[in-house]
Amino acid sequence: MTEMRALPESFRSTPAGREYTDPDHFSLEQERIFEQTWSAVARSTDLSEPGAFQTATVGRESVLIVRGNDGVLRAFLNVCRHRGALLCAEPRGQVTRKFQCPYHSWTYALDGRLIAAPNLASMHDVDRDEFGLVGVHLREWLGYVWVCLAPTPPSFEDDVLGAVADRLGGAAVIDRWQIGSLHLGHRISYDVAANWKLIIENFLECYHCATIHPELTDVIPEFADGLAAQYFVGHGASFGADVDAFTVDGSVGGAPIPDLPEEHDRRYYAVTVAPQVFINLVPDHVIFHRMTPLSADRTRVDCDWLYTQETLDSGFDLTKSVELFHRVNEQDFDACERCQVGMSSRNYRQGGVLVPGEHHIQEFHRWVSERLRRD
Amino acid sequence: MELIDQAVTALPALPALTEARPTVRASDIPEGECARVVLDVPIAIFNVGGVFHAIDDTCSHQRASLSEGWLEGHLVECPLHSSCFDVRNGEVHGLPATKPVRVHQVTVIDDVIWVSSPVAAAGGES
Repeated sequence: MTEMRALPESFRSTPAGREYTDPDHFSLEQERIFEQTWSAVARSTDLSEPGAFQTATVGRESVLIVRGNDGVLRAFLNVCRHRGALLCAEPRGQVTRKFQCPYHSWTYALDGRLIAAPNLASMHDVDRDEFGLVGVHLREWLGYVWVCLAPTPPSFEDDVLGAVADRLGGAAVIDRWQIGSLHLGHRISYDVAANWKLIIENFLECYHCATIHPELTDVIPEFADGLAAQYFVGHGASFGADVDAFTVDGSVGGAPIPDLPEEHDRRYYAVTVAPQVFINLVPDHVIFHRMTPLSADRTRVDCDWLYTQETLDSGFDLTKSVELFHRVNEQDFDACERCQVGMSSRNYRQGGVLVPGEHHIQEFHRWVSERLRRD
Repeated sequence: MELIDQAVTALPALPALTEARPTVRASDIPEGECARVVLDVPIAIFNVGGVFHAIDDTCSHQRASLSEGWLEGHLVECPLHSSCFDVRNGEVHGLPATKPVRVHQVTVIDDVIWVSSPVAAAGGES
């Protein structure tokens, strides 16, 4: 954090610029945050068939996620146990029975066991289970595959479910949107030239909304006042009086999520699960962001738009529905990239300031610094 | 798989089984599955539709274990380079292997699989 400065009562300090630009600091974040916490890395239905696999970057590791012939999803470090070659170079695909290292043909079953290698039958003292792929902890929740690289992961219930429950004001509230049963309507991946923390900070506040989000503030007029939904607990931001649905022009949306309680009608909710998930809830769809930090100044954001089967079957044109948050994303990420440029300025050497509507971002900064302090 | 203790299993007085040794219980190998036992050499015993077949477990190409492979019908695919062998006669179906594997005679008596000395491999090439 920054050294103490005398600030007006209205202001709070931010981390120093180097925490957004320094590769060593980023490595520390990879080690102590992204390699210790739970990350959402894939949509479970993208891995429906036995042998379906994806690779994902988590911290400084490549992780291989695959559904076995027994139907069970598993995750492994994507590295051959023999000489360390990257086992699977493709981002996603389908195998039948095995992963085979292209270097010396060490061969692993979909459950990670070492099942074959040239001349392995002559090496009687080799325990094939011991030299199988190294497993990574895996959970499924909200229809997503979550993994954790830590040997002993933190409690998923406390860290992930707890973060969602804290923001929405109750443990079971998120279940009302039935996210696990929704279907992928659209997906966009954004390659953002900005530090991951700038993206989280941006998601947490709405001080910028009136300046850069004209469509969003038309649909949710209260955002023009500068307070984000995540400023509050359990707060659904109301749609404008003349707005039908959460679409780029406020026009009619898809089929509402069944049995969603009336209190959530015509309201928008947002939840951040630090360090890499951002969820938006509206009555007819859910927008689910997953971030993958790639370097101090580069982050990939995968954004899914999820709808009911009824909406997709009805032939409803998703264009206006997707377009609203796609514009918000592009507007936000442009702003984050603009900030990234300034992070290395001597003007930002001691960081910047947070206005009252942004003070809650300090909770995120404290969350980060507590984890970086741990040994 | 652990071999059955020969002491508790009397060898039936059948001429064909004079060289035979008890291995594992038939009921321990489900249909479509396989057991690996080590007699003089490692042997893979397959259950194809309730009929048991035994072949050398070691692939004739590069010493991978066929019992770690995948059985489809009467063909087992080597896990290493995907050569297939017919578990009934040891014949090769598909490169890179070119030599067959040896076949062992199998007799099931009272749920015990007896495996005898290898019979000549099919295919001619050796």
